[in-house]
Amino acid sequence: MNAAGLLLAAAILVPLIMAAACMSPGIRRHAPLLLAFAPIPALIAALFSPEGSFVLFPAPFRMTLLLDRPGAILLGGAALLWSAAGAFAAAYMGRKPATIRFAIWWLLTLAGSLGVFVVGDVVSFYLVYTLASLAAYGLIVHEQTASAHRAGVVYVVLALFSEAFLLLAFVMLAASHPDANPLIRDVVATLPASLLRNGIAALLILGFGLKMGLVPLHIWLPLAHPAAPMPASSVLSGVVVKAGVIGLIRFLPFEAGLPIWGSVLIAVGVVTAYYGVAIGVTQTRAKTILAYSTVSQMGLLAVLLGVGLDNADPAGTMFVAYYAVHHTLVKGALFLAVGILAATGGARLRPALLLTAILALSLGGMPLTSGALAKLATKPLLGYGILGDVMSLAGAGSTLLMLHFIVTVARDARQNPDMSAPPGQVLPWLVVAAASLIIPWSLYPAIAGESVQGLFQVEALWKLLWPMAVGWLAMLIVSRLPGLRGAVPEGDIVVLAKAGGAALDRLLLGVQQADAALRRWPVAGLGLLIIAALLAGTLMLGA
Amino acid sequence: MSPLATEPAHVATPGGVLLVLAVMLPVVAVLLMLALGPRWTRRIALATLAIGLLVTIAILAELLRTGEALTYVVGGWQPPLGIALRADGTSVAMLAMTALVIAATGCFGYAQQQLDPATSHGRAPTSFWILLMAVWSALNAIFVGEDLFNLYVALELLTFAAVPLVCLDGRAETMAAALRYLMFALLGSLLYLLGTALIYGSFGTLDISLLSQASAEGPVFPVALALMIAGLLAKAALFPLHLWLPPAHAGAPASASAVLSALVIKAPFFLILRLVLDVAPPQSAAFAGQFLAVLGAASILFCSVMALRQARLKLMIAYSTVAQIGYLFIVFPLASGSETLPPWGTIAWTGGALQLISHALAKAAMFLAAGAIAEAYGHDRISDLGGFGRALPISAAAFGLAGLSLMGIPPSGGFVAKCLLLTAAVIGGHPWLAATILAGGLLAGSYVFRVVDRALATPAIPLAPRKPIPRRLELAALVLAVAAVLLGLVPLQPFAFLQIGRPDSLTAVAP
Amino acid sequence: MSVAALGPATLFGLCGAALAGIGLFVVITHSGLLRRIVGFNILGAGIFLVFGAVARRGAGAGFGGDPVPQALVITGIVVAFSATALAVALLQRLFDLTGRETLEAAQEHSPRSEA
Repeated sequence: MNAAGLLLAAAILVPLIMAAACMSPGIRRHAPLLLAFAPIPALIAALFSPEGSFVLFPAPFRMTLLLDRPGAILLGGAALLWSAAGAFAAAYMGRKPATIRFAIWWLLTLAGSLGVFVVGDVVSFYLVYTLASLAAYGLIVHEQTASAHRAGVVYVVLALFSEAFLLLAFVMLAASHPDANPLIRDVVATLPASLLRNGIAALLILGFGLKMGLVPLHIWLPLAHPAAPMPASSVLSGVVVKAGVIGLIRFLPFEAGLPIWGSVLIAVGVVTAYYGVAIGVTQTRAKTILAYSTVSQMGLLAVLLGVGLDNADPAGTMFVAYYAVHHTLVKGALFLAVGILAATGGARLRPALLLTAILALSLGGMPLTSGALAKLATKPLLGYGILGDVMSLAGAGSTLLMLHFIVTVARDARQNPDMSAPPGQVLPWLVVAAASLIIPWSLYPAIAGESVQGLFQVEALWKLLWPMAVGWLAMLIVSRLPGLRGAVPEGDIVVLAKAGGAALDRLLLGVQQADAALRRWPVAGLGLLIIAALLAGTLMLGA
Repeated sequence: MSPLATEPAHVATPGGVLLVLAVMLPVVAVLLMLALGPRWTRRIALATLAIGLLVTIAILAELLRTGEALTYVVGGWQPPLGIALRADGTSVAMLAMTALVIAATGCFGYAQQQLDPATSHGRAPTSFWILLMAVWSALNAIFVGEDLFNLYVALELLTFAAVPLVCLDGRAETMAAALRYLMFALLGSLLYLLGTALIYGSFGTLDISLLSQASAEGPVFPVALALMIAGLLAKAALFPLHLWLPPAHAGAPASASAVLSALVIKAPFFLILRLVLDVAPPQSAAFAGQFLAVLGAASILFCSVMALRQARLKLMIAYSTVAQIGYLFIVFPLASGSETLPPWGTIAWTGGALQLISHALAKAAMFLAAGAIAEAYGHDRISDLGGFGRALPISAAAFGLAGLSLMGIPPSGGFVAKCLLLTAAVIGGHPWLAATILAGGLLAGSYVFRVVDRALATPAIPLAPRKPIPRRLELAALVLAVAAVLLGLVPLQPFAFLQIGRPDSLTAVAP
Repeated sequence: MSVAALGPATLFGLCGAALAGIGLFVVITHSGLLRRIVGFNILGAGIFLVFGAVARRGAGAGFGGDPVPQALVITGIVVAFSATALAVALLQRLFDLTGRETLEAAQEHSPRSEA
């Protein structure tokens, strides 16, 4: 195992070791301070490990780690956000006993969510994916309010469904392979020729789509992300949803393509992108608006993935990773901004609001921001046909939603007394905000294959400006619509579950009555004889 | 003269005497306990636990060293007149599982009795140790038995030891549960006995190895097998024959529940496995296996839902046992094997064995954790346990880890088992079984989550234990839960150890 | 066909089967536990008779009268006796505690799941 490999291994193991170390009371007391340092090995690995680094854990651990370009980009952005949010959390959460528990769940989620970017084999992918999914529950319910609890329950149920879909998909993928635990890229290469390919692709999209929050599987996301404490919301919405993105990048056959499923992803993505905006503008809480914005942005990523799959274009995954890292940093910074703004007032409010506004509009593709770069870089992939325009209009939707967000946070912060957020919170926020600008700029030439000068041409600016203008106009209209705010409850269609709940209750009651009947002595005794007779019948059938 | 005499079916191996030791050691302990009285009971029990563990390790080492099954022919008399004991890889895995669970349960029982020194030499603690030893002996006898009638006697001993364990506390409610258990188990045993009589009438032998070579004509053999399997199903409490299990396992003291749920119901399953795969003709076995799988799938779905609806923790765990037993029965069609591949060479066989062992460890851990919780709070109503994780972190962790194994979440033995079964279902083209496995995992996740959610809750008024719970009471559960998780390191392929000593073993072919 | 033509082994076998059937009927249909225990003994007696018939036929080792089933029957009787003793002891205790000798009422008290 070389140094690069060790770094990769450390990226997963260091947070896990820190979580285990919290069993010792001496370390446990300082657990919140660990949070900022836990993702450092991952950050170093993303920056310095050469592409294609590879580690194989010896048996019986059966874990393979490898780093490729999309993985490295996502890992770097994710590690940076985790680290900054960890520092923010240490300052934000205070020294309560509950904070220690929060820290342990944080470290476990961190290990899993960074792990998905570097794991190379199927079983280990499932392991780290599950770790990230289930440990995030601890972050969501941390505040123990009724709404957090409800969000946690919805989240866990859907996360378990996601696990089940994926397990079946992985087993179907690996079933035809001679190795019981093959590398992901090996099995994906055999996927297009597999007889089960449609079933596998459907299960993968269901499982990972649940994690990404694609409509209609998004219901947990607007409930869960706002329920968590501020720094946790930041990483949940910024990084943990990307587990679904990297899952689709890793498991869908972009080399060979699957046109049907590419089209499905595009369709679902477009619906999600618009749906997130449409519901988001009716929301009144800043964090919920951001969560719906995440839903909408995941729709955009799904479209990019779908186009890549449709065109059998493996380079598409690079654009997806690039767009995803932009969203990771900006959305992370925006959630932290909500926390900062809640604790800022007086003269300092204005600059904080200004920076928040820049970050927010970046999601809509404001020129010079990372959002603009991401949109321009992915433009060639989308092409200049109708899909390109549809996506530009979705960018207008993002602008609208973000303007709604800015108005909401500004209104919330208006009454704040003259105070300022502690430096332990402001500094991490500034770091993420700065990184959200610097990283996409530095990666742009490598990704888009053209220098940054091209960005300043009139044509490029026009491409960005018209959707923004449409977004502003839409905001003018929307803000004058009465009764729009609060029109749709958080989690929108989750209320439909209530209707199904009654039928489910009847079913469960039926099961209970059947159980009581079957457990009566004469029934069970007769059942025994019937089973004996049926068994005799089946045994004679074969003889 | 019978041709059997010239060519003995069983040849005693040097390590074979260890099997006699494994069966007889607990019996000797029981006799000593009865002879020496309550003052000595616990000391004898602890010594027996230690020696029994050593014997099991010796058996394991002997099996690994020779790579062959251990055999002992009692008194040198060959079947059909004599009785043989035989332990192949699968049997030894069962022996090891039994020893581990019994030892951990013994440690829990010891720690629990120390909480209340006044009654630690009373009637119930003394009975507990005697019955625990008797259960151990009977289980070992079942796992190494080769003679169907001998197995009947061992099964009866197991039932007679297990039933009083249910009603150790002497309440009317548990008395009724114990009686219900005894009655239904007796019905099962008598069906089994009737089957044995019919088989002896047809073949003149009850030795499993000899029967597997016999060829059957006519309806007697299928009827006999069906009676035996149905009788065993009653004892294994497979849906819809689970009437006795929830009240019995939920009503028993925690340490007894752990043994009952983890081990006692596995013994009849182990016999069904041997009857279907070793004794029944392969074509008949395939059809019967399909039928058993249907019952198993119904068990998984129905009883998981019931577990989800239970208000009391121990009842929930008990229903979960019936559900998890179902997974063992869906192994039959998955492990049906083929011309070139015997059943024990399939991944489903390994998956089934792993499911059996990891369920035993996880379920014992859950019941012991529930015991610590009940000890601390005096009740086990799930809704009133909000925040118990703060007061009993080790028990909560043990419950959570054991839950991972039940849900089939990596890394755990339950995950590897489920993954192997699912792979077998996909390869073999059994979509309904695959869906059942996944749905069972989802339901298990839900009912485990209900408890974990209570453990993590932080109610306004912290839930204070009725009395302090010493760490060592909680540790037994954690050790078992960690063992269940460590089973997840078993490789994802047919496990060679389980094939040692099986006929046409693949290990004989492999280099 | 006259009864004599059946031969003693078949006669024993048929008697055994009849007893087993009666026993099974009693066990499954009666809620009184004492009756059920008696039913179990009838069922057991029937099975032992079947065993006896098997021994009379001497199917096993080719002897005129096979000794193995007789040994099995004796063991079986001991087991059945122990089972009866255990069941009666438990029933006695249940009766002392509740004054009942059926289980069905117990089901009402058995812990109910939340509905």
